[in-house]
Amino acid sequence: MKRRLASVLLSTALVATPALAADPAAVVSHYADMAQAEYTDSLQAARDLRAAVDRLIAEPSEETLAAARQAWLAARVPYQQTEVFRFGNPVVDDWEGRVNAWPLDEGLIDYVADGSAQNEENDLAGLNVIATPRFTLSGTDIDATRITPELISETLHEADGVEANVASGYHAIEFLLWGQDLNGTGPGAGQRPHTDFVQGEGCTGGNCDRRAAYLKAATDLLVSDLEEMVAAWSEGGEGREAVTADPQAGLLAMLTGMGSLSYGEQAGERMKLGLMLNDPEEEHDCFSDNTPNSHYYDGLGIRNVYLGTYARTDGTKLTGPSLADLVAEKDPEVDRQLRAELDASVSKLMEIKTAAEGGMAYDQMLQAGNAEGEALIMGAVDALVTQTASIERAVGVLGLSGLAVAGSDSLDNPTAVFQ
Amino acid sequence: MFRPLFLIASLAASAAMADVAEVVGDHILPRHQAFAQAAEDLADAAEESCDPRELAPAFQSAYDGWMGIQHIRVGPVEEEGRGLAISFWPDPKAMGERAQRDLLQGDASRLQPDSFAQQSVAARGLTGLERLLYPTQPWPSDTCPLIRATASDLARLADELRNGWADGFGPLLLSAGETGNTRFLSQAEARQLLFTQVVTGLEYIKDQRLGRPLGSFDRPRPERAEAIASGRSLRNVALSLQAIREMVAALSGDATRTLAELDRAIELAEALADPVLAGTATPQGRLKVEILQQAVDAARQEALAELGPALGVTTGFNAMDGD
Repeated sequence: MKRRLASVLLSTALVATPALAADPAAVVSHYADMAQAEYTDSLQAARDLRAAVDRLIAEPSEETLAAARQAWLAARVPYQQTEVFRFGNPVVDDWEGRVNAWPLDEGLIDYVADGSAQNEENDLAGLNVIATPRFTLSGTDIDATRITPELISETLHEADGVEANVASGYHAIEFLLWGQDLNGTGPGAGQRPHTDFVQGEGCTGGNCDRRAAYLKAATDLLVSDLEEMVAAWSEGGEGREAVTADPQAGLLAMLTGMGSLSYGEQAGERMKLGLMLNDPEEEHDCFSDNTPNSHYYDGLGIRNVYLGTYARTDGTKLTGPSLADLVAEKDPEVDRQLRAELDASVSKLMEIKTAAEGGMAYDQMLQAGNAEGEALIMGAVDALVTQTASIERAVGVLGLSGLAVAGSDSLDNPTAVFQ
Repeated sequence: MFRPLFLIASLAASAAMADVAEVVGDHILPRHQAFAQAAEDLADAAEESCDPRELAPAFQSAYDGWMGIQHIRVGPVEEEGRGLAISFWPDPKAMGERAQRDLLQGDASRLQPDSFAQQSVAARGLTGLERLLYPTQPWPSDTCPLIRATASDLARLADELRNGWADGFGPLLLSAGETGNTRFLSQAEARQLLFTQVVTGLEYIKDQRLGRPLGSFDRPRPERAEAIASGRSLRNVALSLQAIREMVAALSGDATRTLAELDRAIELAEALADPVLAGTATPQGRLKVEILQQAVDAARQEALAELGPALGVTTGFNAMDGD
């Protein structure tokens, strides 16, 4: 219903336009190809992570823990580039909370430092499932003696309707691999010892068998969740169908993803808020200190969608018909400006990454009074905000009125817009 | 500090874009002026006395002033975290209280204006003052110096907002489409920005101010309402609706259906005898809040259906798109 309406309205714009060199249908089809490739790379990296986790559990050592951490970091590279698919594509948005929810009350899962598992709105913020095989949840007795993917996804995740009860996904796994980062705004990531996974004598942190079971189940779950998303973007999948059935609606979904991630999510929620709070817990990959990479690949993903390019994990490069082609044809000036602004945000995010690699951890950048850190973060925030205005312009240039803002009626109920 | 009104008038008259000029001249600038004045009065009152009972009226007035502009989330309020520093809510992890506890016990020089302005946004502003003036638990030491520092910081922020609009963002909006204005390339871009504030403002009332305490039927969350300690949860809804109504009327005199829906929502809010929305915990009380929430949503939908097309724009991206 909603697609038909949009296409009727937009067909006039199409008729009025001379033959296009770049075809919207080809652009959305290539977009779906990119999504498929990026989720496939994410899935492969998650399988590698699962193999590394299996080795860690079978033979806990500093080396196997380091290898599992390395595999987690590698898995973030393709996945973060997919975040731009989230807004504008309900199939992704409805699913995303299972794999990348944040911030989390990690005390739900495992032990935490005294006084750190506090959340006035979450009775389960200090539950510690790993140490608690049986507990009561909203009046129901829960048997958690076996930690399975089902227990995590159906009972624990978002338990009691609280979003901070993140039991699954990248950040739950990150917490199990790194532990809490107790360095405040000082340098250093989480320091979980490999002995937290040693079975029997030598186990630290208690319940090492249940911790290993949790890590295994959460990693299995990540793999199966990603399999679902690869299928959604493969031939006949829901995500692909949604954007290709009506190319105009698909173009709108593409630009919505770019704008919503740039402004409200990345610039606002993830970057500026943490800085204004000077709070290292507001760091996106807070256990591993991987935040600069996480931000950088998010930004790169936004530019990828506009340019129609994606560098795969194996080094091959995907290119094809792009939004940039369409916009340039209609208004070269808007295209030129948006390209320049996307380049600028990617480069500002790279500056943060470079500074972090040079020794200034993201937590330190958040420290009150660290003018250099603040300038680095705000430089990227400003660039992301700036490009949002040009993304809105691109929407206008392409005649895609009724901008689909995630969670708003302009997406859920376009009749309200076009009445 | 005070900016004469003729300056505002001349700003408004300079462009042939009546809708944007009216919103800036008749709504945004006077309401920023009112908030700045109320915040200054509060800071003055705090210098006279730290007694919560004596300060309460000035605090309530300043909060009223903020409700007059809180729906406007662009421009100076977006810069330097001012919006977050004026009101940090929700704060489920009690970051504000923790930071204030730390400020009360640590180095007193952090309460000096320059240093205080650098403290966490969670500790400052109206939400910070509310915890000090309407304490729900005892504080570890005399709160007077922190009350004064917070009130004075709030007055500074309100003054910066007012000046930022009068000298910067207001003229920028009014010169939309003119040579040299790289932020707003056309008048439609300026209209779209203002229209987005209307829609987002209503969405915020629906999802946050009403949606948070409503929770779900099985799990209502009355304790999550805004400004419970100062008894303002419902008042904030009503005042914000009134302010948005004024903005809609300035944007387009013809948006009669939108205005009618807003009037209905305002009436419902004013008739609701549930100042902190505690009724959300009972089936009957909950129903009344849900009816109000539906009315707010109806106003939002009508704005999308009527006002947007009247202005020739649709909503743009907003700052609340995040998680």
